[in-house]
Amino acid sequence: MEELPGPFPVGRYARKLQEELRRRARVRLVGEVTGLSRSKVQAYFELRDAEGAVPCAIWLDDLEKAGLPEGGLRDGAEVVIGGGPDYYPGGGQASPSFAFRATQVRLAGEGDLLARLEALRKQLRAEGLFELQKQLARPRLPETIGVVTAESGAARRDLLAGLRRRGWAGTVIWAFVPVQDRRAAPAIAGAIQDLAATPAVEAIVVTRGGGSLADLWAFCDETLCRTVAMLRVPVISAVGHERDSTLIDDVAAVACSTPTHAAEAAVPLDCNAARGALARSAAALRRASTVARSMAPARLGRLDRSASAALDRRRTSLRHVDMALRAHEPERTLERGYALAEDTEGEPVTGAAEALAAGRVRLRFADGRVGARIEQDGTRDE
Amino acid sequence: MEPAMSEKPESYEAAVERLEQIIDRLDSGQAGLRETLDLCREGRELVTYCSAELDAVGEGLKELKLEDLAARLESPSS
Repeated sequence: MEELPGPFPVGRYARKLQEELRRRARVRLVGEVTGLSRSKVQAYFELRDAEGAVPCAIWLDDLEKAGLPEGGLRDGAEVVIGGGPDYYPGGGQASPSFAFRATQVRLAGEGDLLARLEALRKQLRAEGLFELQKQLARPRLPETIGVVTAESGAARRDLLAGLRRRGWAGTVIWAFVPVQDRRAAPAIAGAIQDLAATPAVEAIVVTRGGGSLADLWAFCDETLCRTVAMLRVPVISAVGHERDSTLIDDVAAVACSTPTHAAEAAVPLDCNAARGALARSAAALRRASTVARSMAPARLGRLDRSASAALDRRRTSLRHVDMALRAHEPERTLERGYALAEDTEGEPVTGAAEALAAGRVRLRFADGRVGARIEQDGTRDE
Repeated sequence: MEPAMSEKPESYEAAVERLEQIIDRLDSGQAGLRETLDLCREGRELVTYCSAELDAVGEGLKELKLEDLAARLESPSS
């Protein structure tokens, strides 16, 4: 074991520690007050943010001089304190303790919070976290949406009214959370993650009513905003009023000014209008179909009529052909005194050589047929 | 020939878009008899699909609590 200096009497060491800590630079800190308690002469609390905490103490004299409004120093308040670290060495009976000895305190102003917000905003934007949610496809007609909000409050009521006005009556999964103070940000982030892990949930709304930036501070929490940015389910934020701008608005897929607008963003399709449009489409199709079907027999009728007209035309021309043909029939010639030579099959014999080859022919007259033998000694026309 | 079985639309939006195209074509009066009847049949299928989608969000708003869902998941036997 390495040989260390000492051993020193502990009381002396404790006082040395106190001196060293008191020599540290005096600074201002900003954070949320938690665990506030008072003794006869001092107030004790922890000053906390998402990353850590410091135990603090302030003499009641100093607190009074700070001139905070009645009840200004309370759990959940965002404050700026000025002072430095201190160590109480205790004694024979008294316990030692460490505290940041505050000599100044004031409520954190918009300016303090805005400066922190701006720094965070710059950092998250530089990391590209504002774009991720905006690239997600949002369903126009989700069947199930998740909503993160306070159980009591106008935001819940307004969102429901907005959904109903749209004619949407799907499923809402509520995740009720504290929406203000130090517990809020982790609870909201947890609820969002649980909803995103529920397969039916197609979009998530995060909403709360208006307030000061300090009231809305949970929605500027870095961890919460990083969680939202990385989520694969679109998040619609509606936090505070139109003029309020929280960090969750920047990372969300859509930022809305009111819960009513959030309802419209969560269900982009106006279901009432869609039902009307669909009924009109169905009617148009029925009309088109009816017209087409009623046209069909008419067209067939026309086809039928035109077919029969064509047939009539053909019949007429056929009669003409018939008459022309009949004019050329051999009978007409025979009637004029000519005879037709036919072979034994009844086929006409139309030349002398053919007649000689046949040997026997039949002569057809207008009044009947007679047999005839062909002889060689006839003259042949050349 | 048996007409090809229409595929399920990709989404409500896709169905509505196709429905609008069909109605435009029918309104143009340029579709022949065969095409008109085919378009009407396809259109009716799309209307049926869209109605079902709208019906799914039209039968009364249901409200569930995440904590109840989580409790149900944690004790599936109950």
